[in-house]
Amino acid sequence: MAFTRRKFLQISVSTGAMVIGGQLGMPALKAFARSTSGAGASVGRWVSTTCQGCTTWCAAQVYVINGRAVKVRGNPHSKASGGNVCPRAHLSLQQVYDPDRVKVPMKRTNPAKGRKEDPRFVPISWDEAMDTIADRMMELRANGEAHKSIIFRGRYTFLHGNLDSALPRIFGTPNILAHSSICAEAEKVASFYTEGFWGYRDYDLAQTRYVLCWGADPVASNRMVPHAINMWGKLRDQATIAVIDPRLSATAAKAQEWLPVIPGEDSALAVAMAHVILTAGKWDRTFVGDFTDGVNRFKVGQEVPEESFAEKHTHGVVKWWNLELKDRTPEWAETHCGIPAAQIRRVALGFADAAPRAISWVSPGATMQVRGAYAAIAGHALNGLVGSVDNVGGILREMSVPTLGNPDPAAYQDEIAKKHFAFKKIDSRGNLDMPAMGAGRPGTVGILNSVPEAIINEDPYDIKLAIGYWNNFVFSCSGTTRWEEAMSKLPFFVHITPNSSEMTHFADIVLPAGHHMYEIWGFTKTKSNRFSQANLNVPSIKPIWDVRMDETEIPWMLAEKLAKRGFDNLLRFYRESFPDPETGKLPQNAEEFALAAIKFQTQPLWHSKHPDYGKAEKIKGWEEMLEKGVCNSVEHPYRTRWDNFGTKTKKFEFYSETLKDSLHQHAANHNVSVDEVLKATNYVARGELAFVPHFEPAFRRGDPKEYPFIFFEHRSRLNREGRSQNCTWYQAHKNCDPGDENWDDVVKINPADGRRLGVSNGDLVRLVSPTGAIECHVKLWEGVRPGTVGKCYGQGHWAYGRVAARDFERRIPRGGNNNDILPPESEAISGSTARHGGVTRIRIETIRTPFIS
Amino acid sequence: MPRYAMVIDLNSCVGCGACDIACKNENNVPEEMHWANHMVVTTGTFPNVRYQHIPTLCNHCESPSCVRACPTKAMHQDENGIVKHDPNKCIGCLACQLADPYKVIYFNREQAHSRWQNRDPLISKGSYSPREVALAMGEPIPYYNPDRARSGDGVRRKGIVEKCSFCDHRVREGEMPWCTVACPANCRHFGDLDDPKSNVSLLLAKYPSRVLARERGTRPKVFYLRDY
Repeated sequence: MAFTRRKFLQISVSTGAMVIGGQLGMPALKAFARSTSGAGASVGRWVSTTCQGCTTWCAAQVYVINGRAVKVRGNPHSKASGGNVCPRAHLSLQQVYDPDRVKVPMKRTNPAKGRKEDPRFVPISWDEAMDTIADRMMELRANGEAHKSIIFRGRYTFLHGNLDSALPRIFGTPNILAHSSICAEAEKVASFYTEGFWGYRDYDLAQTRYVLCWGADPVASNRMVPHAINMWGKLRDQATIAVIDPRLSATAAKAQEWLPVIPGEDSALAVAMAHVILTAGKWDRTFVGDFTDGVNRFKVGQEVPEESFAEKHTHGVVKWWNLELKDRTPEWAETHCGIPAAQIRRVALGFADAAPRAISWVSPGATMQVRGAYAAIAGHALNGLVGSVDNVGGILREMSVPTLGNPDPAAYQDEIAKKHFAFKKIDSRGNLDMPAMGAGRPGTVGILNSVPEAIINEDPYDIKLAIGYWNNFVFSCSGTTRWEEAMSKLPFFVHITPNSSEMTHFADIVLPAGHHMYEIWGFTKTKSNRFSQANLNVPSIKPIWDVRMDETEIPWMLAEKLAKRGFDNLLRFYRESFPDPETGKLPQNAEEFALAAIKFQTQPLWHSKHPDYGKAEKIKGWEEMLEKGVCNSVEHPYRTRWDNFGTKTKKFEFYSETLKDSLHQHAANHNVSVDEVLKATNYVARGELAFVPHFEPAFRRGDPKEYPFIFFEHRSRLNREGRSQNCTWYQAHKNCDPGDENWDDVVKINPADGRRLGVSNGDLVRLVSPTGAIECHVKLWEGVRPGTVGKCYGQGHWAYGRVAARDFERRIPRGGNNNDILPPESEAISGSTARHGGVTRIRIETIRTPFIS
Repeated sequence: MPRYAMVIDLNSCVGCGACDIACKNENNVPEEMHWANHMVVTTGTFPNVRYQHIPTLCNHCESPSCVRACPTKAMHQDENGIVKHDPNKCIGCLACQLADPYKVIYFNREQAHSRWQNRDPLISKGSYSPREVALAMGEPIPYYNPDRARSGDGVRRKGIVEKCSFCDHRVREGEMPWCTVACPANCRHFGDLDDPKSNVSLLLAKYPSRVLARERGTRPKVFYLRDY
């Protein structure tokens, strides 16, 4: 019998009935070519949808039998992921069918809030839940306090505007706090201040010859996991892979070079590599240019006259050399970052020799650090030196897949809404010590992790109401005890959530949320493999839980209740702004609104009369859009952005005029100098150094004498963000994360340190930082540097479910949450939470008697 | 008749575990059993450390010791060279498990998936019990795959053993084992050793290969190429 690997993808398509209120009549995709007579072969269909287990946002398909999801696979129509999904997509089955999900709306009956308090939730109807919320909202409006409310956004689709933009704007609050600043904003610094791109890059893996990962673990986590996995064998054949990571990560285990950097010292390594490339004369002449006489003047310790070098597509390479690089030898770097000079030299030269097919891949690991902005820029600047930016085998951006945003709600804002929307936001964005510059604009990144202080101190005012969806900030933000205190103080909190999480524990109203892969309408965009794409989230199963769609149905239901109380602006906005692209029909109820919203915002992809139709793959109508589930862009071209980078000079900036502008702007906002901004934001550089990639020493909390170990954390290839810990498949396969153990939460300690501490595998220990303490088991492992200890993020839930928590009822965690011991520090230029870079030191205390609950 | 084999290219494998999880899903395998599994090995000392993740499964040996040990012929080789297990003939004596050098045979001491029989909701009236979810789905586990029951038990009964069957229920339909389909690295290859043009034959001709515990003389049909 002849096999083809993807034989099962040869599918026949028939048209089916359309969607009515969460019940799907999808086009049937015949999965099994032949059935065994009398053997009961299943007749199901593959429904296209999106996996949002991480932010790769893969186009996936679910095999559905009688409204029941049975298995998942990659969507073969996706050119970005080539029909592949990583293990996270499979885990989603246990997430959607998690028996511990919230099945009905609930209200709190114990007014006292705190981790130790039992909320005493009781079921209520959707009607009662919405009435209660609407009453509280109207009360705020009546009292002139509409601004004293917050919308917390978590996991979202591109329909989020209904809930986190239209609702607060029309209601009248400026407080929209998303999770972005705890995610990866600092990574965007890398490409913005060098090439003017505020976003995550694509990488031309198929054609590259060198991959240099800065804390990036592409085969395990963000942002193109299936494509990276799919390409890695080929990369090992055709390229050199070097991974800079304090831990022997999943990718480091598959690399030729592992550079176990001392956490937080990445910038030393990056500038030393730049030094090596320049002194060896290995920079790319085509992109950077050359000395006018062709003689390399980049000699250790020697300044170079700027006029001796003629730059082509870059700006400031000589300034960079003179200000920073000339003394940054590998020998100097070794003393800071712990990487042998010979290895620094070897990797830098290998990287440059591969030019321009060389990728310097900057990730959150190297940038979400207190002084991470300059590590980000320095790492990305290496791409400039070798000319791999926007080039074959190098660094790419994203392609257009035209969709519509949430319609502008301005016309529906009344005077109250306008007045209160203009109030000062409660978070610290834009403060002197928090420039929080999104795309170079001061004060534009919301500082989620400053919200606890704002609530606790009622600064600038007292928050009275918050609505959060698909988030768990009490668990996922560093400095968790502050969040617990703040949420305890918050008078009214509505949580839209799949499970009863740590955040839910402080809720007054709990609303069961549909699962994004199986139970909601939505769409997202993603990119890899030189293609961008938009893919749909499609309700593919019959939910047994009484769930609603977070970004469409729930806001509509709330709008109806507000309308009944005499405030119908929001309902009118929802009702009037999303006409069906083909019929013009307007939605009349929550279910119709969900479908109307997705069709309206995606219409340029499939509606041939839309002016933007055809700018990406031409999808022939809504039914084909549903069937394929994905719309691909055209292929990313090369070298179209050279001399048209979005920087101030339009060049690739080694001396960042763009950053200089932004920092001056922020300084001017506060009538101070840039040096004062640098001081306030914990950076050590002063003067002109602020505008070039430069070394910044690691920032750490904790006295080395009291806290001898540098603590670092990392991600799991099985983390569906922080939400898969209640899946038994997660626990049963946790040792797929190198060094980790199944059904356990371990701190990875070098065996030499273990001997000194007198601890062995499996011992229970307490990790104590200046911020907090957690308990977990010991794993002695050679994959971490002596003096540092590493631990995966994700375990340590004291809520969420019976598997995630060791004892849900008594709120005893399984292992420990890293965020209990991580201090709430920030990388202030981007406003990011600084969870990496060894931001805290810890001590390790042995616990003689295992904890007995 | 075909002689099915699997070739795993360790150069391409990244150790993600998708095969392990997808297998549990396809074959309704309880979480504590691992038809598809892996070994992890860390060698060396910092900073010269090597980590390997070696996927494992039943080797579907040409000379299977588990088959020889089985007193009832429950464990047998089918016409395609797949080492299969007939639940109707199994007496649960565990002779196969003892004889198996690869430790890939699991015994159902209790009813499988018993956690889905739990009647306690996490939040009284706020969530379902696992049993309620299974009942609502009408299956022993909510994501139960009925196709597994095309060959043998859909969920294996108490008192018998179970192991990887090379997804014989799929193979007979001309489909690849689900682990092979689910592998995002394309590191698993499945095909007929007797067909010189099959991908497994071509790969084995191209690269030197290894098998596990060759010295046991079982002649495994899961081959490993290159290094992790």
